[in-house]
Amino acid sequence: MKRRTLLQWAAALAAVLPFERIRLLAQPRDFTPQAIDLLREIAPTVLPSALGAGRIAAMVDQFVVWTRGYREGVPLAHGYGHPRLVRSGPTPVPAYLAQLAALDADARAAGGRWASLDLERRRAILDAAFTKAGVRGLPPRPTGQHVVADLTAFYFRSSEANDDCYNALINREECRPIVLTTTKPEPKAGRG
Amino acid sequence: MPVHETDVCIIGGGITSAMLARKLSELKPGLGIIVVEAGKSIFDVQNRGRYRERAIAYNEHPWPGDFIEDQQADGIISMTMAVGGLALHWGGACNRFSEEDLRLKSMYGLAADWPIEWADMERAYCEAERRLNVSGEPSPHPEDRRSEPYPQRPIPLSYNLQVLKKWAEQSGIKFSPLPMARNLSPFEGRGSCCVYDTCGEVCPTGARYSPDFTFRQLMGPKKIALHDRTLVRRLVPDDTTPTIVAARAVHQDRPDEVVEYRAKTFVVASGYCWSSHLLLLSSSARYPNGLANRSGLVGRYMNGHRFLNATASIDDQTFPGQNMTHSLISREFFRCAPDKPFVRHDTRVWESSAGRDPRLRSPEGKLLLGDELMADWRSRTKGSSVRLRAYVDVHPSADSRLTLDPAKKNRYGDPMPKIEHRFDDQTRAREAATRAHVNAVFDRLAKASNGKIVNRSEGDYLDHPGGGCRMGTDPATSVTDSFGRTHDHENLFVVGAPTTPTGGCTNGTLTFVALTLRAAEKIAAA
Repeated sequence: MKRRTLLQWAAALAAVLPFERIRLLAQPRDFTPQAIDLLREIAPTVLPSALGAGRIAAMVDQFVVWTRGYREGVPLAHGYGHPRLVRSGPTPVPAYLAQLAALDADARAAGGRWASLDLERRRAILDAAFTKAGVRGLPPRPTGQHVVADLTAFYFRSSEANDDCYNALINREECRPIVLTTTKPEPKAGRG
Repeated sequence: MPVHETDVCIIGGGITSAMLARKLSELKPGLGIIVVEAGKSIFDVQNRGRYRERAIAYNEHPWPGDFIEDQQADGIISMTMAVGGLALHWGGACNRFSEEDLRLKSMYGLAADWPIEWADMERAYCEAERRLNVSGEPSPHPEDRRSEPYPQRPIPLSYNLQVLKKWAEQSGIKFSPLPMARNLSPFEGRGSCCVYDTCGEVCPTGARYSPDFTFRQLMGPKKIALHDRTLVRRLVPDDTTPTIVAARAVHQDRPDEVVEYRAKTFVVASGYCWSSHLLLLSSSARYPNGLANRSGLVGRYMNGHRFLNATASIDDQTFPGQNMTHSLISREFFRCAPDKPFVRHDTRVWESSAGRDPRLRSPEGKLLLGDELMADWRSRTKGSSVRLRAYVDVHPSADSRLTLDPAKKNRYGDPMPKIEHRFDDQTRAREAATRAHVNAVFDRLAKASNGKIVNRSEGDYLDHPGGGCRMGTDPATSVTDSFGRTHDHENLFVVGAPTTPTGGCTNGTLTFVALTLRAAEKIAAA
């Protein structure tokens, strides 16, 4: 095929293809290994140290799995009283990646890798990032506003965190015999 | 045009439809029964655990496709339109009304009496409780006497509710476990409660009753035919007699093809909104105001109850998350002495984490990170929050209406309903006193355990709505008789919520079911 013909074909194709859709499809749908590494580096700042390195890493992994399970355009809970149809938005992953890149850049501008910054420097960077993303409170669950706020919510809104906070085996979201709810929950600490 | 002929055509596929279909099939085996429902069947109980998980993790609606986007109403409390109706995701509360609800006019000079004797209603309640397998504890008030025990023992109180019961009863007000249609052991093909604690969204085991189970059980042995995704748009009266001869519908997949249902008896079981809507839509030259509407009252006296809320903070320690969908109920204020200012309400107590949830910032605005956030959260979990609510008896005026909104139409061009609730003069006149009374009750409860009320709020809609086709003995002031038979058309019945003259002061579903079961014998004999 002549080069000119190829260019003409490409031009014709460009005229008919839905580029916006292609652009969206071309968006990353998954965390890159580098992004996961950075999120692992940031996680100990926003998750309780009592979790230990293993549970903190596991929480990041579960959060990444959560992003993979995200579905776009799905009807969300309609509510009761004043019902409203709202569908889930686009995957938050592209925004998450951009936010992680921005945090990395901010950390480097402040003097080094995230882990090397002192707590107040990290707090200032996150504070500015959350404000820019419009995060005002702890999200009820990951909502796509900011990756670190969502990771924080992913843990702190969980049944596991509720049990950690109360130091009790409440198991809020677990299927369990009703009789187990009739006694004071056993302490969590000391349980293997 | 496809034509289906049957004995009874039930329009609507919610809880009253399911209960009616089952009872009719028992009363008259072999009776032809077709249930026509606009929404789809979601009969995939095996997926409900997954739906629940995704609802928790992603806030996804746990009943996929349970709505019709262009079949919605202003003033409606739920978008759900599917086989099972709102009872797919009701909480399962099964409280009875009291005799006062049926005698408001004669006891207090308010609103209207219901055309039913209490003893008759009480028997219907017993049947409804049996069929729904209600778990409950007899009320401590002698006026609430029962002619049959509850079919199940009460739902065991969680540790939290035991603490809160002890706390609340220091006020001198007696509380009981909320009666619920929740299996404690397997019953009629449904599992037992595993405290998934999402009764109001989805119950993976089916322990909390939902009508899809009943419909499947009736369809298997062909006791009924269920035509889902089929919207009845009009009821067709006979040209000369005051009877209904057909229901004209359209299937979602064949919008240009009219489907006709011919039956000896038609039952509108479409809930508080769509029942009046269908009657009003079915206007014709002979019935310009719609069917069953000689009184002009179809779509009027739309009712429900207001609700007042508060959060109390107390020193007693609870552990939020044990069984948040269960509650305590007091029927102390179901009665009001006739010589006292009128106020009636139930009183509810739930465990709560309000004000004690994790937060991202300190009150000074400092961003909390990791250990700080956990420490802040822990520091606020000493003691307990308690969620309080009172469902208050309010009475509709004739202008509390469902009307057809010409500005909002579905794909077929039918105007959609618009509901605007209005209170009668007496209700409005006593609003401030009612609010003061309920707040005083909340304050009285809060006194124990160093408690205090930390916030108060009021609902901005009427809960557990009903009305629009109110029952009565006088055709000039009501739409149906006490069995739901319309005064104007001998073979047209309306059942459940639409027939209630007033909305009571506690959850209505058990009452809607009881009224429907009571009507079943007349419908079977029609």
